Amino acid sequence: MIEITEDPIDVGGVIDSVRRPDCGAVSVFLGTTRVDESGGACVEYLEYEAYRPMADRKLEEIAEEVKERWDVRAVSIVHRLGRVEPAEPSVAIAVCAPRRRNAFAASRYAIERIKEIVPIWKREVWSDGYVWVGSQTGTRPSPKE
Amino acid sequence: MGEIRVLLFGAAADRAGTREVHLETPEGTTLGEVWELLAGRHPSLSEMGETLAFAVNGEYAGMDEVLSPGDEIAVLPPVSGG
Repeated sequence: MIEITEDPIDVGGVIDSVRRPDCGAVSVFLGTTRVDESGGACVEYLEYEAYRPMADRKLEEIAEEVKERWDVRAVSIVHRLGRVEPAEPSVAIAVCAPRRRNAFAASRYAIERIKEIVPIWKREVWSDGYVWVGSQTGTRPSPKE
Repeated sequence: MGEIRVLLFGAAADRAGTREVHLETPEGTTLGEVWELLAGRHPSLSEMGETLAFAVNGEYAGMDEVLSPGDEIAVLPPVSGG
């Protein structure tokens, strides 16, 4: 299951999609939205956008890379788009392997690769403006020197 | 040559004030030349300079890539998914 969706992620469904009788380990990584505070302002929610279908294809490529590098039998990746509330998952990765070492390594690799090559962007929407994460561009007042 | 579409995302779209630009370009135009044109029109986009990546028809591409009519160019700020 490789999917980009505007709906809340069904984490149990992502896990179930990889479970297999020939595997003894499922490693799950959840990226959840984190709120920051600074100078009396705080993050209210996050918003994600993607360049599709390139983003869908890059997620598929990462799943293939993971299967080539480790003894991994199934990989699912689901990424959220649109508005995501604090503490909700924005990405869920589940990797199923015969043994835990490969499952851990593969799920870690998958999230690091997502952050390198998948054209998805998030902006933090603050009570006083917004910031594009990574580009640090937006409408928030500049921090005081 | 013909028209190419340029899509802008995230902070790049904000800075250019648009998410899509259509350009008429002569034959043999490279991605680098299209970037020069865009940066000239949108100086605040130009400031993002080295942080940007580019895609042609949905795949990462270098500045010497030669474009064809109907190509879709994407201006990609540093990705921040996850």
